[in-house]
Amino acid sequence: MVGLSLGEKHFIQGGIDQNLRSDGRKRDAYRPISIETGVIPQANGSARIRIGATEVIASVKAELGRPNALQPDKGKVAIFVDCSPVAEPMFEGRGGEELSTELSVALQCCLLGGKSGAGAGIDLSSLIVAEGKICWDLYIDGLVISSDGNLLDALGAAIKAALSNTGIPRVQVAAGASGDEQPEVDISDEEFLQFDTSGVPVIVTLTKVGRHYIVDATSEEESQMSSAVSVSISRKGHICGLSKRGSAGLDPSVISDMISVARHISEQLINKLDSEISAAEADEDEM
Amino acid sequence: MEFVNPEGLRLDGRRPMEMRQLRAQIGAVAKADGSAVFEMGNTKVIAAVYGPREVQNRSQQINDQALVRCEYSMANFSTGDRRRKPKGDRRSTEISLVIRQTMEECILTNLMPRSQIDIYVQVLQADGGTRSACINAATLALADAGIPMRDLVTSCSAGFLNSTPLLDLNYVEDSAGGPDVTVGILPKLDKVTLLQMLRNTTSITLLIQPYNVLERFAREYQTAGVSTWLVVHKKGIRAHIQAPTLAWLLLDFQLSSHHLKLVAYTGVATS
Repeated sequence: MVGLSLGEKHFIQGGIDQNLRSDGRKRDAYRPISIETGVIPQANGSARIRIGATEVIASVKAELGRPNALQPDKGKVAIFVDCSPVAEPMFEGRGGEELSTELSVALQCCLLGGKSGAGAGIDLSSLIVAEGKICWDLYIDGLVISSDGNLLDALGAAIKAALSNTGIPRVQVAAGASGDEQPEVDISDEEFLQFDTSGVPVIVTLTKVGRHYIVDATSEEESQMSSAVSVSISRKGHICGLSKRGSAGLDPSVISDMISVARHISEQLINKLDSEISAAEADEDEM
Repeated sequence: MEFVNPEGLRLDGRRPMEMRQLRAQIGAVAKADGSAVFEMGNTKVIAAVYGPREVQNRSQQINDQALVRCEYSMANFSTGDRRRKPKGDRRSTEISLVIRQTMEECILTNLMPRSQIDIYVQVLQADGGTRSACINAATLALADAGIPMRDLVTSCSAGFLNSTPLLDLNYVEDSAGGPDVTVGILPKLDKVTLLQMLRNTTSITLLIQPYNVLERFAREYQTAGVSTWLVVHKKGIRAHIQAPTLAWLLLDFQLSSHHLKLVAYTGVATS
């Protein structure tokens, strides 16, 4: 909930028009990003990310389950987001539910593939243990601890970091089970498999304020937005997902312009995130 | 199951009277008026305080004191096995109430009439003792927000397993089913603000005797203006009365710029 005076609104909009935002950034600049991994020891993988005053935690938990009958060779991934009232009194009780659902859906369409599981950022076939019988179910939980705008990008980055921190125990399937029987499994305590996270996309949200669009908007800037386009882009430059928020209509040419800008920005963001993630993992190993 | 081995060590290597490692940090949530992260071993909670501010719901406004509200929530990933908990279930409503009553007692609410103070507590990791951890975190967050208080409440729990009193139970010890007492005290004023003993009751007759002792215990520490909160339900208690006397946890606060150094020491009153 942001209450701004008319003067403040003009100041924010004027700053964006002149490519000098209230906190001194340019339109295409992110706030400082810091990542910490392994913050939830009980999870298979976890990460906390701070972008300016926005802070989110993502955790990945893996459970053994049965693959879907229609896709016997693929595991399952579910993404849930929770907005803690700690971040904003507005999220008290059921107040955060609407935003939580909006963010969960946006993340699902940005990170997970279609119904068939094709095109997902996470390779679903690597989650299979015994085809048609046992697979890993990944539960990805995001928690918003402090909210100062740009939650979707932060959650996307936190999930990327948490996935690269994730170790899935190696599973031995006992041979001999035949037919419809559920085979016995032996879950290793020592051997963990790492994920290939190079295909996990990052999310870049471009927020349109006035005639211009900006990246990494703060909550003050978001309160002035007309619409926002979130693009998820993989390292190869492929667009993995697209969603638009806000009620104002956008000119199609502006959208394609936004996508190409987002693609350019994503390269820098991926490099920044990768170096932060490897630094965080190195820190964790030292501890 | 054996909770204390012959060498006198618990499952996690502590002595029966030993606390887990405490860590605290204030100013964790940038946008809140006051906030703190509090860790007791693997239990980790984050508390944020918003206010004193205008009352959001006019009908709840109190003309001679501040309205204190509290919401407790658990993250999906906070427990060992992941589950999605509905908001506002009975357990979290109860803990919210406990925290609210405990904090209300130490806030000088009469100094801030017609205003509202919100305390939000979020459990990031639950490994036993979340109630105590939440109260400690809420105290730190209130102090960080600069809200006038009588004293800083500190809380700790103790249990009784295999006829041994154990301080600061972790999840495994907590789920063993023995009695569990949570105490919150105002150390400088030497008053008890929270006293809660939880466990299933098997027999009413068993309940009466310990209740009397507990009440006497409570009255001893109860002074005007301090409400002692009693919940007693339990199973075979006589010996367990020792537990609350063990749960004296005093925290020394040294507020240095933005970090809190917590020195914890326990004064064990022998029974």
